[in-house]
Amino acid sequence: MRDVLAPVAEALLRQARLDADAVIRAAERDAAQTIEDARRQAREIVAAAREQGEAEAEAYSAAVRARSARQARGMELAARREALEELRRRAGVAVQALRDDPCYPRLVKRLGELAREAGGDDLVVREHPDGGVVAEGRGRRVDCSLEALANRAVDALGAEVERLWAP
Amino acid sequence: MTVWAPVEYTDVAELRGPLVMVRGTRGVGWDEYASIELETGERRHGLVLEADHDLAVVQVFEGTAGIRAEGTRVTFAGRPMRIPVGPGWLGRVCDGGGRPLDGGPPVAGAADAAVNGFPLNPTLREPPSEPVLTGISAIDLLTTLVRGQKIAVFSAAGLPHLKLAAQIAAQAGAGGEPFTVVFAAIGLTHADAATVRDRLEERSAAGELTLLLNLADDPVIERILTPRLALTIAEHLAFTVGRHVLAVLADMTSYCEALREVSAARGEIPARRAYPGYLYSDLASLYERCGRVRGRPGSLTVLPVLSMPAGDITHPVPDLTGYITEGQILLTRNVSAYPHIDPLSSLSRMMRAGAGPGRTRPEHVDLAAQIIAALSRARQARELAELVGESALSAVDRRHLALAEAFEHRLLAQRGDELRSLGETFDRAWDVVSMLPRRELTMLSSEALDAGYREER
Repeated sequence: MRDVLAPVAEALLRQARLDADAVIRAAERDAAQTIEDARRQAREIVAAAREQGEAEAEAYSAAVRARSARQARGMELAARREALEELRRRAGVAVQALRDDPCYPRLVKRLGELAREAGGDDLVVREHPDGGVVAEGRGRRVDCSLEALANRAVDALGAEVERLWAP
Repeated sequence: MTVWAPVEYTDVAELRGPLVMVRGTRGVGWDEYASIELETGERRHGLVLEADHDLAVVQVFEGTAGIRAEGTRVTFAGRPMRIPVGPGWLGRVCDGGGRPLDGGPPVAGAADAAVNGFPLNPTLREPPSEPVLTGISAIDLLTTLVRGQKIAVFSAAGLPHLKLAAQIAAQAGAGGEPFTVVFAAIGLTHADAATVRDRLEERSAAGELTLLLNLADDPVIERILTPRLALTIAEHLAFTVGRHVLAVLADMTSYCEALREVSAARGEIPARRAYPGYLYSDLASLYERCGRVRGRPGSLTVLPVLSMPAGDITHPVPDLTGYITEGQILLTRNVSAYPHIDPLSSLSRMMRAGAGPGRTRPEHVDLAAQIIAALSRARQARELAELVGESALSAVDRRHLALAEAFEHRLLAQRGDELRSLGETFDRAWDVVSMLPRRELTMLSSEALDAGYREER
């Protein structure tokens, strides 16, 4: 009986082995594919991380560069502003020296005329304690003090002030 | 009136909101520039809004807080407001009124110009042409900026429109020709302003940028001045110095709110949402200052950036801006990746004048049209997939969905500090269209497809 079934058992066994081999091969293929996928994914993750790291490093160094560039530029601009303020101060000092000039009374008279020309004949002109004149009337005022004139002279220089720091 | 003996008017009749009424004035005209000196010696600036007999109404840019009627002196310049113009502005950072914030001296220039601009002779205008490349794929490929064009960026609260504006300002160029950016920041918070400054530092240090910063806590009325200063500086650099200039105005909604505030203080009849009835012509007087002039080498491109209150595109500010500008770049929350540009709602009406053979790439316009058409079909397919499920879609529809996906990840998504060359943008664009079978790409010529289509996809 057993001998009779032997070929069947053998066939079944062979088929089972074939099936098992196929399953094993499929599993191996799957495993290889999974490993390959995982490796590719890992490579992609590493590449993305590297790219992100590089971008972050670049952003950081750009920020540092930007900060130092701004600092350098700030120092240069501050020096220019100081030069302009110094010019304004010197103009103020220089204009004060006019008070010792023999022509100063004539200058005061002329400034008075100028002020009334601009603001009207009804303005009352008086001398400013720091030199020059101020003309005042109802609702109107014309400031021709020496300090104001010096400031206006510096303001009127326009682009010429750039000669202070031009190479 | 002389420069040496200016008349100061001391009879301030009334202070109302941002307005000062001065009595006893003589020969003062509308739109004249005024200088207001306070008792403390502080100096503010303003414009004459109305002049009637001896009464002048002055709008003070810095506001009237702290001004007393007594002891305040107002001087009129005898002409509309002018500012010095020239290359002295390059590399400078100033406030919304043009005063230095960078520690330097006041900006000086060999010439000066009226801030309201000078209407350009229409017969001397040249139509926009040649591109301004921003290094942002979605803009360069689909809504190319053209030199001399005005194109707006529409955004909603919470979207990074400032980051985008700063990125455009930092990266934009005209293919190696001298290029300059004038960035007017209107009503920005300190944090936003600091971000913009940091992003633009490199360009500023290179002497290619002027930054005007009107901050959120700066006087509201000064916001009316800021875009005008920016455009005046830009016009001179473009049409006299001969550079290609991009003027970025962000955020124009803050500007319009300032205009509304002044209008309300003047007691004008309000129009839509209390904005003044002249909002359209006022915006046009700014945007229309862009262009190119015959016989001059430079160009002025204007990029207003505006946030739509409550995301409402029918709000008067985006609505009227849309009437004037030649296209828009719309940011949307529906696109998850920065720069959040909605390709199907964005359009550059001048694109054909700036893209194509001899300018960017021969296939540029067709490729952009093909991508837009494919994205449009992908949107329809997605809507269909929501009803019947993706598996029920045709193979071609599924390819379109894959294209939309690839478009967003491969082409549109971009880092805020990433400058993409035109070559790289086109490389990515061909990758994206190659998601579709070649027979579907009906808008592209066979020569273009032979050169660019990637079969292996």
